[in-house]
Amino acid sequence: MFSMRTLKTSEAAALLNVSPNTLRAWERRFGYPKPQRSAGRHRLYTHGEVAALRDALQQGLSISSAVSRAREALSTDTHTLVGALASFELDRADSAMEAALALRSVERSVEEVLLPSLDELGQRHGIDSAPWAFAARWADSWLRRAQRLAPPPVRPLAILVGDATRNEPDPDALAVRAFELFCGRSGARVMALPVAGVAGLSDVVESLSPDAVVIAGSHVPDDDVALWAYRVRTAAGPLPMALFRRAHHHGAMVRTTGTRVLADTPFGAHRQLLAIVDDRRGDRFGEVAPAVTRVGDVEVREAQA
Amino acid sequence: MRRLRAVRPVEVDERGLELVSFCGHCGVAPAQDAVQQSRVCGHCGLGLVLQAPADVAPRGDEPFLVIDSTLSVCAVSAQAEELLGVDETEAVNQHVADFLLPADANAPCADNLLVLLVEAASGSGAPRTAIVRPRQEFGVRFRARIGPCGPPHAALLVLTS
Repeated sequence: MFSMRTLKTSEAAALLNVSPNTLRAWERRFGYPKPQRSAGRHRLYTHGEVAALRDALQQGLSISSAVSRAREALSTDTHTLVGALASFELDRADSAMEAALALRSVERSVEEVLLPSLDELGQRHGIDSAPWAFAARWADSWLRRAQRLAPPPVRPLAILVGDATRNEPDPDALAVRAFELFCGRSGARVMALPVAGVAGLSDVVESLSPDAVVIAGSHVPDDDVALWAYRVRTAAGPLPMALFRRAHHHGAMVRTTGTRVLADTPFGAHRQLLAIVDDRRGDRFGEVAPAVTRVGDVEVREAQA
Repeated sequence: MRRLRAVRPVEVDERGLELVSFCGHCGVAPAQDAVQQSRVCGHCGLGLVLQAPADVAPRGDEPFLVIDSTLSVCAVSAQAEELLGVDETEAVNQHVADFLLPADANAPCADNLLVLLVEAASGSGAPRTAIVRPRQEFGVRFRARIGPCGPPHAALLVLTS
């Protein structure tokens, strides 16, 4: 299901007939091609992006115009998915995601194709419409399928997600599913529980022994969330707690409790959460970990005194 | 033999005009051995190597723009970025009139800036000159040298003082 060919910097540079330094200069100036990072922090380029740029360069008058054309070529996946979902063709929607996955990672396919397509349908029809509900159900099912195909947990890391989204189609619910998927794919054990249910919660928490708790979604009222969070804390002790897509909370941290407010994008939020847990593990007892905020695509850590 | 290898064949277009190669960003002529290897400029790495008739091509650090037949900006040289206060990445795909306008509103139709650009972009126009000014700026004028360039076919507008 998730086949994507990646290239090292030298391979991508050879395909484009430029030097690795030029490729890195393009990344800085044009933001394209946009590499992922390997476990060893080396750049990994998706073959599709590089191939699209190579084709565009042959017909281009400048690198900027070639990048623009290459981006346009890649954005056809979003148009295809929107078209498939708008005409209620599930097989075609699956195919559009397959095509997206041939050019991008799962994370980028979700963030650049699936979620934007749902946003577009939501804007076009409204999120209380039948077409959007249809598309949201397909997206939810796709994300769950992807979660089932994620590799088994390899990190000694468990995350408890308090799901505060609506049961009915909710844009936040899709973002939360994507967040769970990304955490799972990075090797963590993830368990999502509705914040509405507190009976027997301590047994589940003790069994999972989470390293971090994330309260995700803004549908459930604060009082219910507070009760759930209190029960979790009673069962598991003090843990890093973070908010994801919880309305009315902006900025990097809630002043009174130190609860972190994660980025709005699932990928950004998952990266921040991993950094928070890693920082906590690396810190001495009682030391405050640096806050991590996100500016565009860049994570910024507060300097420690 | 060594001297013969150093000789560079003169490239000409279909009308027999001598063509000059230059980078669409820094304006520098590509190194001789790099010409056939890659279209990307080996000097700055930020532009593609283009060709234009020698009497139109930018000389030294003259600022220039490349415009296609739909009058969209396709490339802005580093010098033109500085002169016009725009980034190429933002200017690309925008209409040339968002940046440059004819300074002489009374010019006859044949000398109309946009007509000259469309002709040049089709590859058929002979090198011409026009007087232009930056959009929303007054009291500043540039002489513009306009002619064909490519590949693919486009118009080259070189700003001279």
